Amino acid sequence: MDKDKAPQTPRRMTRSSASSSSSASTSNNVTAAKVNSLEPLTINDLLVGGDPISLDDIISSFPGRSSQILEIVRLLGPLNSPMLPLFMYGGSSTGKTSIILQLFRHLNRPLVYSSCRTCYNQCILFESILNQLLLHRKNAANSYSNAKRCERPSDFVNFLREALTNVINNLKEKSEKLISNNITQGKIGNMIYLVFDNFNLVREWDKSSTILPLLFNLYDLLKMPEVGLIFISSTSPDTFYSNMGYVEPIPIYFPDYIEGDIRQILLRNQVNQKLYSSFLDVALNSFCRITRQVGDLSAALKPLYEKYCEPLSDKGKGVAPNAEMKRRLFRHINPHITSYLNEVFKVSSLSSTEVETRKEEKWKGNPRRLEQSEELGSLAFHMSTSAKYLLISAFLASRNPATLDASLFDSKGGSDNRKRKRKPSEKALERKETLEEELLMKGPGTFPLERLLAIFQCLVSVAEEPSDDEEQNNDGLGVEGGNGGLMSDVLLQLSSLCNASFIFKGRSCPIEGSTRYRSTISEDLALKVARSLKFPLSKYLYRS
Amino acid sequence: MERENHKMKAVNVLRSRICDPKFIFNDSPDSNCSKLKFMISSSVTEACNNSILLLGPRGSGKNAVLELAIQDLLQQYPESISVIRLNGLLHSDDISAFKEIARQLCMEHQLLFSKAASFDDNSQFVVAMLKECGLAHKTVIFVLDEFDLFAQGKQRLLYSLLDAMQSITSQAVVLGISCRLDADQLLEKRVRSRFSHRKLLFLPPSMEDSQRLLVHMLTLPIDSSFPHDYAVEFNRKVQNIIEDRRFRETLNKYLNVDSSVRHLLRFLFCAVSHMDLQTGFLSQENFEIAFSSIQRQPKLECLRNCSFLELHILVCMKRLEVKEQSLCNFNSVMKEYKNIHNSFQYARHVCLRAFEHLLHRELICFTDNRGQSLSVEFRPVKLLISSAELHQGLSANNSCPGYLKKLIDREG
Repeated sequence: MDKDKAPQTPRRMTRSSASSSSSASTSNNVTAAKVNSLEPLTINDLLVGGDPISLDDIISSFPGRSSQILEIVRLLGPLNSPMLPLFMYGGSSTGKTSIILQLFRHLNRPLVYSSCRTCYNQCILFESILNQLLLHRKNAANSYSNAKRCERPSDFVNFLREALTNVINNLKEKSEKLISNNITQGKIGNMIYLVFDNFNLVREWDKSSTILPLLFNLYDLLKMPEVGLIFISSTSPDTFYSNMGYVEPIPIYFPDYIEGDIRQILLRNQVNQKLYSSFLDVALNSFCRITRQVGDLSAALKPLYEKYCEPLSDKGKGVAPNAEMKRRLFRHINPHITSYLNEVFKVSSLSSTEVETRKEEKWKGNPRRLEQSEELGSLAFHMSTSAKYLLISAFLASRNPATLDASLFDSKGGSDNRKRKRKPSEKALERKETLEEELLMKGPGTFPLERLLAIFQCLVSVAEEPSDDEEQNNDGLGVEGGNGGLMSDVLLQLSSLCNASFIFKGRSCPIEGSTRYRSTISEDLALKVARSLKFPLSKYLYRS
Repeated sequence: MERENHKMKAVNVLRSRICDPKFIFNDSPDSNCSKLKFMISSSVTEACNNSILLLGPRGSGKNAVLELAIQDLLQQYPESISVIRLNGLLHSDDISAFKEIARQLCMEHQLLFSKAASFDDNSQFVVAMLKECGLAHKTVIFVLDEFDLFAQGKQRLLYSLLDAMQSITSQAVVLGISCRLDADQLLEKRVRSRFSHRKLLFLPPSMEDSQRLLVHMLTLPIDSSFPHDYAVEFNRKVQNIIEDRRFRETLNKYLNVDSSVRHLLRFLFCAVSHMDLQTGFLSQENFEIAFSSIQRQPKLECLRNCSFLELHILVCMKRLEVKEQSLCNFNSVMKEYKNIHNSFQYARHVCLRAFEHLLHRELICFTDNRGQSLSVEFRPVKLLISSAELHQGLSANNSCPGYLKKLIDREG
């Protein structure tokens, strides 16, 4: 059937696409119809939406935030009451964004929300706000473009004023219709609120010195009492002070949660609350000494809780613990708390169940040897041999001061035949030690390209010496023979290492003339790389 | 309920008053508003050019007074005035400034404005319009907000405006508003020579004026919009509060920081929003709460939020500072930590993450700008809080053990 069709189709097709072309066209039509059936946005889309929610619900769903919620409600005021700009600030994951969105859901007032994290420069921020105000939806019909192109602040203020006047007139008409029809519910008022989230990121933008005063002064620039401005930031208002002044918005502070509130938050959504609360009795205090941010804590406590439930028969699904069980579980978990404390900020790349199964498999072999090799570890990525040598040379060049090069990299290729003239005095040794330690603590140093190439050549010559008998096994290296094998394309390797951020390339200094490089890898990684090459790195390290 | 409605209405009325500049500044004969009106109306009637600067600290009502004056003048001379508004934040470069002037002129005279017009087109259009307006005896008022930002760079806009005013046919008034009291010193010589040095100073109100303003703002009108005894009782309570000694002390403390009108209004706004809707009257507590919620100590609050490990890191950094060690980065802080405790209770990356939290809270910051070349562990950092703040913060923090405070001063 398909073969009959094939000579008739004008262009080449595979059989499967030919057979599915008929169904594809109908599905295309279906999707086109779906796209067209998305209605244009109305003013009601500026509301947060969702089921109506009462103030008490909000207060109970955000433990420890009742005073902030009540303060915000008071400052927002009754319907159609103008307000001065607000500035909400507090640490991360303290509930600022979610509280303001839930409050607007409760108050049922129109809101334009824009986050300065997703709108990462001023052009995108302006266009996103205008899109929302002009009720513009990006779809295939307008090829996903914005409503207005807006780059300069002057254009933004003009468009904003126009759009806001339109929206406010719309809202006024709506509320007059409601009044004339004697409907008392569904009032959304005449005011519109602009919310700027993640405002602290604006300080790092390119033109922050003009856009920050602009946004803070927006209330004065617009001169519209029906517009309310709310800024949300994770740093306090005194970090925004700059040369240009503005009238300060009213601050609302969100302190970090205290332990009791963290407990309440973590207890929600738990299947077995009594068991979890006895677990928190044991573990929460020590974790709170490190951090009190809810996100970090919930991620860190999850694996510990699973370990806590291990001795229970049903993994803690329905059991309410009594005192004796609590003591047993406490004894089980206590030695592990310290080790889990050190995993607090680690995010494992595999999901926890996968990690468990892999660990189980590994335990079947020889546990101690596997632990050792796991620690020393294999490299998680592949690199060519010459790239590995280049990386090690860069590491050595950053680590060792340049004056040691001559003695370390002499023709014998080792540091174990340094001649010692006489034993220096104690004080001199101490001073030398502190100086060396300081050098280490300052971080990796910079080096010019010539030094890197010199060290590289030295290392490669050392490495290739004893490999005469191995050459017939290495098919790649023997092609050019001798020293040339690993030296080819060094500069190409160097640029790819720079692109992969193993080596940092600095700007060329106008006085010295050449660019300087800096190695960015840690000592562990360098040791791993050297071990994979069977290269004695520790002999060359300055004070390992 | 009827009673609830008028309490909420009272709050609404007070809040709208605070956000409405027209209510605040009135037209008393001695005020800046009447002086300004007189100056502009005289130049309108005499068909001459003028330039005035309104100077005063931020929030003292320069814009509000100007708007009041312009509104009154527009009522008085409806056909003879057109107003062009520019802002230094938005239009400080000449191209956008002329574009904006052209756009506003077009809007006012119902002409079509083309966005693609070039700078030369726009400036020629502006000059031509000025001439036409002058011939028609229509005064163009240019309001230049943030005047000192226009005085940056080459001042081409200022020069062309003031120069156009020199010709006989044009009738224009240039009003500059600025927070810098030396704004006229910023002008170039040729611009300054064309500028008539008229300045109106907006000084912050004295204590008596502030109190009078408070009474004016908070007194409910005794008319049909509120039940009579409610309004009378409300006003009496307000009068009591304002004459109270404690309230005056709080007000003094607040206005010592910044005595401009806007600052005072901010305080009022907070107090009015905290008004108890049960009783429906303002009370002393409202003002006290407003005062404590506006005057904040952000660094102290941050320190109160810090965890145990973060406080340790701060104390180690303080000790390094006291010892005047030149190199202070994460590694040296860890070394100091080890000196104090002889061991590491927490793994290194946990400490590094706590260090990064401190960076986010802006209690410490990097001292160099080399973002990518060195990793977080090696970049030098410095403390952004003083020893007094650190001591205060440690005392205020619940999870701070007693020995930490003594550690700061202990030697070795």
